[in-house]
Amino acid sequence: MKPLVVRVALSAAVATLLCILALPMISLLVRLSPGELLHQLAQPVVLTALGLSLETSVATTMLVILLGLPVAYLLATKEFKGKRVLQTLVEIPIVLPPTVAGVGLLLAFGRAGLAGGALKALGIELPFTTLAVVVAQLFVATPFFISAATAGLAGIERRYTEAAATLGATPGYGFFRVLLPLALPSVLAGAAMSWARALGEFGATITFAGNLPGRTQTMPLAVYTALQDDLAAAVALSVLLVILSFTILLGLRFAPWGAAVGGALARPRRR
Amino acid sequence: MWLFLGLLLHQPQHLSVYAAASLSDAFNEIADSLERRDPELKVDFNFAGSQVLELQLGQGAAADVFASADERWMQIARDSGFIEGTPQTFARNQLVVIVPRGNPARIGKLQDLARSGVKLVLAADAVPAGRYAREAIFRLAWSAGYPPDFSRRVLANVVSYEENVRSVASKVQLGEADAGFVYVSDVTPAVARQVRRFDLPDTANVIATYPIAVVRHATNSAAARAFIDFVLSPSGQAVLSKNRFLPGR
Repeated sequence: MKPLVVRVALSAAVATLLCILALPMISLLVRLSPGELLHQLAQPVVLTALGLSLETSVATTMLVILLGLPVAYLLATKEFKGKRVLQTLVEIPIVLPPTVAGVGLLLAFGRAGLAGGALKALGIELPFTTLAVVVAQLFVATPFFISAATAGLAGIERRYTEAAATLGATPGYGFFRVLLPLALPSVLAGAAMSWARALGEFGATITFAGNLPGRTQTMPLAVYTALQDDLAAAVALSVLLVILSFTILLGLRFAPWGAAVGGALARPRRR
Repeated sequence: MWLFLGLLLHQPQHLSVYAAASLSDAFNEIADSLERRDPELKVDFNFAGSQVLELQLGQGAAADVFASADERWMQIARDSGFIEGTPQTFARNQLVVIVPRGNPARIGKLQDLARSGVKLVLAADAVPAGRYAREAIFRLAWSAGYPPDFSRRVLANVVSYEENVRSVASKVQLGEADAGFVYVSDVTPAVARQVRRFDLPDTANVIATYPIAVVRHATNSAAARAFIDFVLSPSGQAVLSKNRFLPGR
């Protein structure tokens, strides 16, 4: 039995934090009547933004897995010079203000940017395109995948892959048939986190990709634009975003593979 | 320790000014002269699109002064009861078209804005500069020497609706957009070095008027009034004119 004062302090901390975290979401949810909400959600600008958000965030997530998995594998299984620098570099977007990311992307991949000439030679002009939205999302969402996947891959004991190798498995077979299936829960959890983060991306997108309905105006941008003269539409879009993000994160927890997810995402494990 | 306590007790008088993004250079300069005159005064600015400022006033922002880039948002703020007394017009502004110095889309005259493939950036419709730009485009379409479908083709070239007029200027300045509609006052010396400017014919141009007012329940209404008086005074007007604004009257 803990002393009373400890219990009071604990409950106060929990209640305060819950208030700060949950109250804004609840306020969004109760602001509009269900009828009004549906009416707002049926507006073309909302549907367009929703479609674009889903398209770009799914594309981003696939790219994150494709490009992030090799990096996670490298970080999890190999020791090399500059590993810590690489690790830090990969994590920076988590703490960088997204607007800074957007300016950096413009100065790098804009047509007047450092790599602008090279891209132009390939016939690619990124700013103000849907592809730029994906690049912006990729920039901010990748770290979530890499840290979860790296932790997952590093947590698998070497002896499994070593045993496979002794039995004649090629390194590729060892990775795809032994290591990856064992680490799959973390990899999927990382992918889901990246997806949710990509869905919520705002600052880098509006700075790098601009704001045009149907092409670069994803849901967060539509919320911001609507907020300026149509509060109801902004709230409706926000509700949709809250529900989507909540579903993704909750699904992560209840998925059959959710139990094995490490770190902050872990579901309490019974022993 | 005593010094720290002294600093804590002796706080300068804070004045909170909510002003349209286009006013940032001029108002910063005005605040500098005011603060030099009265060392006790500290002017804090919140620069954003006028529509964002009005929204923030509506959410109970602790502002003392509101300066809008059009009559519309000032009127909305007034109708909602956020404003004390009558707003006063202190400056006017005009639109220009700017293109990056390198002129990637080879814009030689305003008619070229309708050419397909031009990447045009405007401020969003809710932003005064965006509304004025649309109006100017429609007026151009009615002018002699412009094709009848000019406005449709120009608006089809828009690649982004920015949240305030300064973002339009920076997209052009960075060379990412081919052209943008901004205020004359946005073409600061720094911007001017990196862009080329096309003036609109007088018949098509829109004159933006800037009203300023004390916010109701201002925490510092005396200082707010002093700020507005200074903006309207010859010295304030001189700063505005130096920053390429037209006089209010």
